[in-house]
This record gives sequence, structure tokens and C-alpha cells, in this order.
Amino acid sequence: MAIRDWPIKRKLTAILLLISGLVLLLTSAAFVTYEIVTFRQTIRSQLATRSRILAANSTAALAFANEADAREILGALKYDPHMVAAALYDRNGRILATYPAAPSADLIPAAPQPDGYRFEGGHLVGFTPVAQGENQRLGTLYIASDTKAVSDALRLSGVIAIVVLAIAMLAAYALAAALQGRISAPILALAETATAASTRQDYSLRAPKFGHDELGVLTGSFNQMLGRIEEQKQELQQHATRLEQRVAERTKELERRALELQAANSELDAFAYSVSHDLRAPLRSIDGFSQVLLEDYGAQLDEGGRDSLQRVRAASQRMATLIDDLLKLARVTRTEMRTERVDLSGMAREIVLDIQRTAPDRQVEFAIAPGLEAQGDSRLLRVVLDNLLRNGWKYTGKQAQPRVEFTAVDENGGRVFVVKDNGAGFDMKYADKLFGVFQRLHSITEFEGTGVGLATVRRIINRHGGRIWAEGIVDQGATFYFTL
Amino acid sequence: MALMSSLLLVQGESPRTSEYQLKAVFLFNFVQFVDWPPSATQDSQPPPPLLIGILGDDPFGAFLDETVRGERLGARPIQVRRYRRIADIEECNILFISRSENERVAEILAAVKNRPVLTVSDGDGFASQGGIIQFFTDKNRIRIRINLDAAEAAKLTISSKLLRVAEVVRTPRR
Repeated sequence: MAIRDWPIKRKLTAILLLISGLVLLLTSAAFVTYEIVTFRQTIRSQLATRSRILAANSTAALAFANEADAREILGALKYDPHMVAAALYDRNGRILATYPAAPSADLIPAAPQPDGYRFEGGHLVGFTPVAQGENQRLGTLYIASDTKAVSDALRLSGVIAIVVLAIAMLAAYALAAALQGRISAPILALAETATAASTRQDYSLRAPKFGHDELGVLTGSFNQMLGRIEEQKQELQQHATRLEQRVAERTKELERRALELQAANSELDAFAYSVSHDLRAPLRSIDGFSQVLLEDYGAQLDEGGRDSLQRVRAASQRMATLIDDLLKLARVTRTEMRTERVDLSGMAREIVLDIQRTAPDRQVEFAIAPGLEAQGDSRLLRVVLDNLLRNGWKYTGKQAQPRVEFTAVDENGGRVFVVKDNGAGFDMKYADKLFGVFQRLHSITEFEGTGVGLATVRRIINRHGGRIWAEGIVDQGATFYFTL
Repeated sequence: MALMSSLLLVQGESPRTSEYQLKAVFLFNFVQFVDWPPSATQDSQPPPPLLIGILGDDPFGAFLDETVRGERLGARPIQVRRYRRIADIEECNILFISRSENERVAEILAAVKNRPVLTVSDGDGFASQGGIIQFFTDKNRIRIRINLDAAEAAKLTISSKLLRVAEVVRTPRR
């Protein structure tokens, strides 16, 4: 694991240990160095003292070249096992006596060296002047001591340093482990709370606060943030609930309105139906008795009287047609739908044949695409096609080359049926009036009609769940689109 | 072993010349190991010299003069005097009696008796005759024999260090 991915606990402990380890190491190094330096100084001054005592004792031996005495004096060195070798040089640098009596050659320099005490080749060596009185130099004393004492001291202080270091590091580790919690515990608690809050989306959690230091401030801010989030979440929920309530209220109201509307509509339909139905009987009387009057008493009437009667008959017949259409419209909304597969192309061809039979003197070109089919009530769909094709036939009456098409296009994944003519057309600003009851864009003298047909068509299309709309340009034709 | 052989070589080289060379050094070194009783003149200015006298034929040649040249005891310069007759002897501190005076030793010692003079000689039996220090040769080495009674009689104090390296004798009782 990379150091930066270590948990904070371990990082803190590691930092504390590193620092205390470094400090201890430097301190120990300083301690050992001080020990060694002072110890070297100590043994050097010890050697110097010993040398001076020996030198003072050996003055006479040197002065009077008494070898035996000199050897005896040097022989006292045997009581100190660290003393390796010694020698007395006379004034001329000649060796008078040595210790041990028969030393190995490399231990005793052939001639005295400058006075002083120094570490040399693993030994501490000293050259001390031997003098009696003030400035009477008699010769030189040489003593070599091994440095085992130094290395012993080094080893001892090293062992002490290592033991102290180990104990101190253990103590430091224990303290670090105990104290790092002061810093890491709030951080860990904060991290735990943050994780819990984000995974469970529970914003009612609060991180425990340990003190008023920066971490305490951080924890406080974090808790405040959680509180704010919680409040906002609650507000949001309240808003959502209120919105849902309002939607439900509106929906209920709309449903109620729809029901009301439906009730009003069916009432209206029923009214229209009964009115139309009831109107037919008196109308038939008017027409029938007008016919009787014309046939039985026509000879007794003058031309003006017969013409008036003719007009009464024509008006009552037109009224009958109007009533029939109204009844048809009412029936469309009242009859039950029977859905089946309908061959629209075949149905259109039958209607065209029927139209051409009633007016064989008009030449209108009908173009009917083959294979158009739809799902729906065949009786009602026949009313739709009959109305649209008959309209096309009717409004192309003033066209030199009249033409009516029945096709279909696929648009946005749905099928759109199209009935198109090149007749009188209409102004697009009246497009929304096209499908209203009794709405007519042309006068009855121009093109005859009751103004109920397209209203009926729209009702049927709506009952099928479809949509109908029209486009037109004056004198260039109209196009009707519908879906089912 | 090389060192040992070189040591032997040093001691073995020209015994006759080095004998008096060594004795001259010894004579000079006595100055350091012997205390003379305070004298009336020692504090005067300039300080009186410390005198080493030679009575009779001088066996040292230039060695003694070379040895003491420029040397002092405290503020006192050390000087060498040579005497032919007993009467010539002045207030000297060390008197070396040459072998040439062997016949007259008793007379000479009598002349300096009770005076703080360190008498030295390499004549046989000098110490037992009442002389203070006698050089003698033992196993080819020059040794020192000291007559402590004579030294005490002369009111001289001899350092114990010197006594350590010397052979101490007493004046035989008559």
C-alpha cells in the first residue's frame, strides 16, 4: 500500500515514531560520541599521569644509566594489563630499558618521538620527558597502552544507547498509539458519519464532536451541512406531496367536468334526437298535404299559387334531409362500436360507383390507392369515407378536370389517410370552423349541403381515438388527413 | 632481536672513551640529586657559580666542559675548575679526585673534612676510605658506591633516588 493510502492512524503513529526515533538516534549518537571523546581524554590523561609518575621515579636510573633499576621501575607496569609496552631512552635517544624485558620489535620505536600523548595504530602512545629539577632533561619515557578500554567503553555505551533507544521507542510507540486517537478519532468519526450519510442517504445522522479545535469546527460545519440538507430534503418532500395533492385534485375536478360534459352532451344528443324524430311527423304531413293540394286542386290554382306550393314542398324536403343528417349525427354517438378489420380501398371504390350512378353526366377522376386497411367499425367508417369522397366530388363541380385522391402516408410510425381534391378549397383562417355543426364556408346556392357532414366525420374519428385535420387553398383544392 | 643487538652494540662501543664520557655526565647529574646546606653566598647577586673541581690529572678531557656548558642549577651557573694542589681547592661543591692522587686521598679528604664538598673518585676503596662517592665497574658497567656516613659528615643530603641506584656503604669502625 502506498504511504498516502495508509489510514490516518497509521500515518500519525508513523510520523510520531519517525520524529522520536530520529531525535533519540541523534541523542544516542551524541551520547556515545561524548562518552568516547571524554573516555579517550580520560585514559589519555591517566596515561599522562602514570607516565609522569614513572618518569619522576626513573630519573636516577637514567641519570646514572642503571639498567636494572630502570627495568624494575618499568616492570611495575605489569599490574596494569592495558599497558602493552614501555621504554626509557637516555639523553642521546638510546634505549636503556624496555617493558616487557624482551618486547617484540614493532612495539618500541627505535628513537624517541616528540613529547605528547596520541592514539596511534590501535594504541595510545605517550612520550614523556624525564627530568630532575627544573630543566635538566635526562631522557624520555615511552609508554604504549592498548585501546581495549576505549573499545570496551564504546561497546558499553553502545549497548546502553541501544537499550535506551529500544525502551524509548517502545514508550514512544505506546504514547503515539494512545495519543494519535486525539487527532484521528474525530476524523474517523467524521469519515464514518459522512460515509453512512452518503450510502444510506440518512441526513439525520450527526458526527460526534470531541473538542473545540479545528476538527471540532469542521465537525460542527459538517453537522450544520447535514442539517441544512435534511431541511431541504423535507421541504422538497413537502412540495412534492403538495404537488401530488394538487394534481389529484385537478384530476378529480377534470373527471367531474368530463362527466358533467358527457351528461350534458348525451342530454343534448337525446334532445336533438327526440326533436328531430318528433319534427319528422309534422313535416311529412306538410309535404304530403302540399302534394295532395297540388295534385287534386292544382287546376284550380293559378301559376303563383302552384309555385308557392312547389316551394313549400322543396323546403320541407330539404328540412327532412337536414333532420335525417341530424339523426345520423346523433346516432353516431349513440350506436355501439364493433371493431373489425376494414378494407378501406374496397369500401371507397363501392362509394365511388354509387356516386357515379347517381350523376352519370359528371366526369370526375377518382384515384384510390389499393390495399388500404384499418381497424374500426365498418358502418361508421363508411360514413366517413362517403362524406369525404362526396365532398371532394361536390366541390370539384366547377373544375375543368376534377380529380379526387384517396391515399395514405406513414408518418411518425402512424398511418395517416389522405383524401385530396383540386376543387374550391378554403381559406386556412377558417380551418377550425370546418368541423363544426351547421358551419358552412360556401353558400347553399354555390354548393348544396346541410353543414352536418364534417361534424359527423369528426365525431366518428374521435370515437375511434383518431384525429382529423384539413389544409386548403382557395380555388386550388382541399386535403383532409385523418388517423384511426 | 634486532633491537637487542643494537643495544649491545651501543654499550660495547669504544669502552675507554665512553667510560669518562659517562662519568662526566654522572658527575654533572650529581648536581640534581644532592642538596648542599645553605651557604652565606648563595643568595648574593649575581648568584655564585656551582663549582665542579678536578684535583690532579684531568681524565675527562673536553667531555666535562661540554657536558656542563650552559647548564645551571636554578640561577647558578655550573663551572669546572682544575686544581693541582690541595691548597688550591676553594669553595667547590663537587670535588673529583683523579687517580693520580690515589696516594694522597687520606690527606685530601682530611683537608675537605667537615666542609660541604661532595667528594668523588674512581679510585679503588675510595668510599671505604671516607670518600663520599666512588665509581666502580661491575660487569662492564659503571656503578656508584656511596658512603652515607661521609655524606652526613659533610652535611650533604643525597636523594633517595640516587641511593636507589647506588651501592651504599658505611665507614668501617676502627
